[in-house]
Amino acid sequence: MRGVPIEALRRVPLFSDLNKRELQEIARLFKERRFSKGETVVQEGSGGAAFFVIEAGEAKVFVGGEERSILGPGDFFGEIALIDEGTRMATITASSDLLCYGVTYWDFRPLVEKNGVIGWKLLQRMAKMLRDTRGVEDVSQAAGNGRESSGSG
Amino acid sequence: MKQVVPLEKARDDAIFGSKAVGLGRAIRDGLPVPPGFALAGSIVESVAAGEKRAIKEVAKRVKPLGGPLAVRSSAVDEDGAQASFAGQHLTLLNVPSSDELNAALSEIWWSANSDSAITYRKRVGLFTRPSVGVVVQALLNPDTAGVMFTRNPVTGADERVIEASWGLGEAVVAGIVIPDHYRVDRSGRVLERKPGHKTVAVRSVPEGGTVEEQVPSERVARLCLDDDQLLELNQLADRCEQVYGPSRDVEWALAAGKLYLLQCRAVTRAGL
Repeated sequence: MRGVPIEALRRVPLFSDLNKRELQEIARLFKERRFSKGETVVQEGSGGAAFFVIEAGEAKVFVGGEERSILGPGDFFGEIALIDEGTRMATITASSDLLCYGVTYWDFRPLVEKNGVIGWKLLQRMAKMLRDTRGVEDVSQAAGNGRESSGSG
Repeated sequence: MKQVVPLEKARDDAIFGSKAVGLGRAIRDGLPVPPGFALAGSIVESVAAGEKRAIKEVAKRVKPLGGPLAVRSSAVDEDGAQASFAGQHLTLLNVPSSDELNAALSEIWWSANSDSAITYRKRVGLFTRPSVGVVVQALLNPDTAGVMFTRNPVTGADERVIEASWGLGEAVVAGIVIPDHYRVDRSGRVLERKPGHKTVAVRSVPEGGTVEEQVPSERVARLCLDDDQLLELNQLADRCEQVYGPSRDVEWALAAGKLYLLQCRAVTRAGL
C-alpha cells in the first residue's frame, strides 16, 4: 500500500484543519518504516527530518533520561522537525516491534510550498497551538504571582 | 532511463551512487567483483513507498542472482573526497532472496533519512535530500576477508596495509575482532605479519542475516593469510590504483580460493 490511511492523520493536531483532499495529498507522501524492539527511534538532541505516526506497537518517550510517556497506535512524534529543521526534543525507544508511517522534510516542504491553502491552514493551526501553549504559561505564571492572566497572545 | 542495470552498466554517479559506479568501472576494467545489479535512487525510493510496479521490476531483474544477497547502499555524494558517509547508510548481508529484497531496500532508504544520517549531513553541511542507490550482489561465503589500504594511512609510507580475519569482512570493518595485520611493499615482499586475536567469525545463516560464530581456539591467533595470498592482494592493490588512482581503501574477500574486490574508495579522513 502506498502512503498512510488518512484516518491516522486526522488525529494529528497539526493537520486537524485540513479537509479530506488535503489530507490525502499529505498521506500519499508517507512510507512504511519498521523498528525492532529496543531500537532507538529518535534521539534527543540529534538532527531529524522525519515525522512518524505509529500504526502498531509501543514506544517509550524519555526527556533528559527520564521516562515521560508511552506511545501506541495512533500516536505520533517528530512533527516539529518537519518544519523547523531543529533537533529532537526527546528520545523515543521502541518497547516492542514498531510499525510506523513516516514522512520526510524533503517530501513535506515542496507540498506546502506548492499548496498555499495547506500552508495557510498549517500556519493557522500552529498559531492556535502557540496561543494555547502561551495561555497555559500565562495562567500558571499568574497563579504563581497571585494575579489573573492577561490572556493576550 | 533504466533504473536497474547490471553493475558493469552503472556509469552515472548521480543516478546509481558512487559505490555502484565504482564497482561497475572495476568490472569493466577486469577487476574480480562479484556479479550484481545497480539500483537507481529513484527506484529504491519507489520500492520504499510501496509502489507495486517498482517492486515487480526489481524482483524480476535481480532474480538471476538467486540468493543469498548482499544489499549495500550507494548514496549520491557517498564516499566522496569531501564527506565520508561510511557507517551512516546500511549494508544488509544475507538477504535470503529477491522476495525479501523490498524490506531491505526500505530499510536502506530510511537509513539515509535516519536521525544519525541527518545529524551527520548537518555537521558536514549537506542538509539536502538524500538519494540512495543500492548495489545488490550475490553474497559470498568467504574463508577470509578484510580491508587493505594501498598506501599506509598512518605513516604515509608507500606500502600496503592489510587487516584480515576469518569469515565475512564485517568482523574487521565493525571492529569485532583484533585482525591480523600485514604490511607488504610494492614488490610483494612481506614486511610484517602480526597475528590478531580473532575469537569470532561473522557468518551468514540460512534464514537470513548473520551470526558471530566462535572460532576454534587453535585458529584464534593463527595467521589467516599466507604469502601467496598476500602477493595476490598486492596485485589487486596495483590494479585498483591503476583503475581508480592512488591511496585506496579496499574491502576484499577470499572465497573458494578466489580473491574478490567488494569495495574500493578514496581514503578519507574518516578512514585514517
